[in-house]
Amino acid sequence: MDAQTSLEHAATGITDERVVEVRGLRKAFGSNVVLDGFDLDLRRGENLMVLGKSGSGKSVLIKCIMRLLQADAGTIRVLGQDVLTLDQEALDRLRVRIGFLFQSSALYDSMTVEENLEFPLRRHWITRDPKQTDALVDEVLNAVGLPQTRRMYPSELSGGMKRRIGLARTLILKPEVVLYDEPTTGLDPITGKEIVELILKLQRAYNTSSIIISHDLNVAKLAANRIIVLHEGRNHVEGSYADLRASNDPVVRSFFIFM
Amino acid sequence: MVRGTAAKVTSVLRDAGELMAFAGRFFQQAFHKRFEWREFFRQCYINGTLTLPLVGITAFIMGLVLTVQSRPTLERFGAASMLPAMVAISVVREIAPVITAIIGAGKIGSSMGAELGSMKVTEQIDAMEVSGTNPFRYLVVTRVWSTTLMIPVLMVISDAIAIWATWIGVNIKDDVSWGLFYRQVFESLEFSDFLPALIKSYFFGFAIGIVGCYRGYGTEKGTEGVGQAAHSAVVTASLLIFILDLMAVQVTDILGLN
Repeated sequence: MDAQTSLEHAATGITDERVVEVRGLRKAFGSNVVLDGFDLDLRRGENLMVLGKSGSGKSVLIKCIMRLLQADAGTIRVLGQDVLTLDQEALDRLRVRIGFLFQSSALYDSMTVEENLEFPLRRHWITRDPKQTDALVDEVLNAVGLPQTRRMYPSELSGGMKRRIGLARTLILKPEVVLYDEPTTGLDPITGKEIVELILKLQRAYNTSSIIISHDLNVAKLAANRIIVLHEGRNHVEGSYADLRASNDPVVRSFFIFM
Repeated sequence: MVRGTAAKVTSVLRDAGELMAFAGRFFQQAFHKRFEWREFFRQCYINGTLTLPLVGITAFIMGLVLTVQSRPTLERFGAASMLPAMVAISVVREIAPVITAIIGAGKIGSSMGAELGSMKVTEQIDAMEVSGTNPFRYLVVTRVWSTTLMIPVLMVISDAIAIWATWIGVNIKDDVSWGLFYRQVFESLEFSDFLPALIKSYFFGFAIGIVGCYRGYGTEKGTEGVGQAAHSAVVTASLLIFILDLMAVQVTDILGLN
């Protein structure tokens, strides 16, 4: 890392500690090779965006990091632990330290918002005191600006509200790393921008490091410290938004076609 | 055509094998020290209490219809006095367990298939997993235990309601007191009528739960898959109930309980 970058990172709270390291990741579905030797490093405090077109394997990448999908080859280390070799108990303990915001928000539709938020707390005995549970639920609902939705069911919420509650559920366990799967997809531009601003606000408040998977350049512009372009299963280009904006690479240019 | 038939047979066998593996996974997790009591009791309420009205109405109609329809035949043979005993034995040994299980397959099996299927396609099961919760233990183990324990309870209640309906059916043309009717029924019934029915109802409950969860948990192809999961849960569970019933009758015959 050069001196200029180090100074910039110091200003944004990014350290050199690597919280996620992916090396030579390979994943295929039958004969369809989706990831073919992908590498990634996420530093503590950093917002790293993986940019790629639909079907390029972005979601597969973060599902492999969470071991929702089993990688075919390569290594994945998260918070110093080798994800691919952990036993189930250790993996569950590690997963508590990693947040995951699903593209569909994945709220439990048989539960109210409050029960959705309490669910991870109850699972991990974070607290058994109802007052403390209430306080934690209040805290994250206020953080995402939706305290009035506490007794509502997911079916009563709009797409943007669901995304916010999904974010609240992700943050209630105070994760160190958060993986965002297409956080603005399916939302109108104004709500999308609000979600990105919320992600940044919460990142500062909860001191998280993030991998953001998206094809939305507005997210890249507003939220990413660094961007990796994923193309044909490999790292194609890496740099800041400004670097990519200035690039003449045809793959990179194709993302800016409507900008 | 031969190739098509072979492919279908292979597919059915593969499906049966996967169902067995799923059941094996259930037994691996079923006695885990961290049991999800809260979800288990919720499922018992849904699969037991909320199914009771449907089972109760069906049992009542079943007892009444069976009584009314059996009377002319028994009268022809001068055996009208045998009506309470005949209906009670039919209900306890066969009709109540099978009808209760078929209703369970329709109501509980389909809702499990649809609920878990919809959770699968909307990534709710993945969400559970990333929050460090074992979704199999939370969703499948609790549901299968609840049906295994609730179907026998429903069957016993169904027996009682059907016998009560039989008394009403008998009194449409006769005037038989509840005391006399009760004595006639319980003098004709033996414990060996009730016990095999109770035992097979546990198997029926297990079949409903495991098939419903298997279909839901393995859902693919989005919302279309959810419909398929619900539908195939009912069909497979119903078929399995009849196969288990056939096996149960052979076993009780071998044991001399028939």
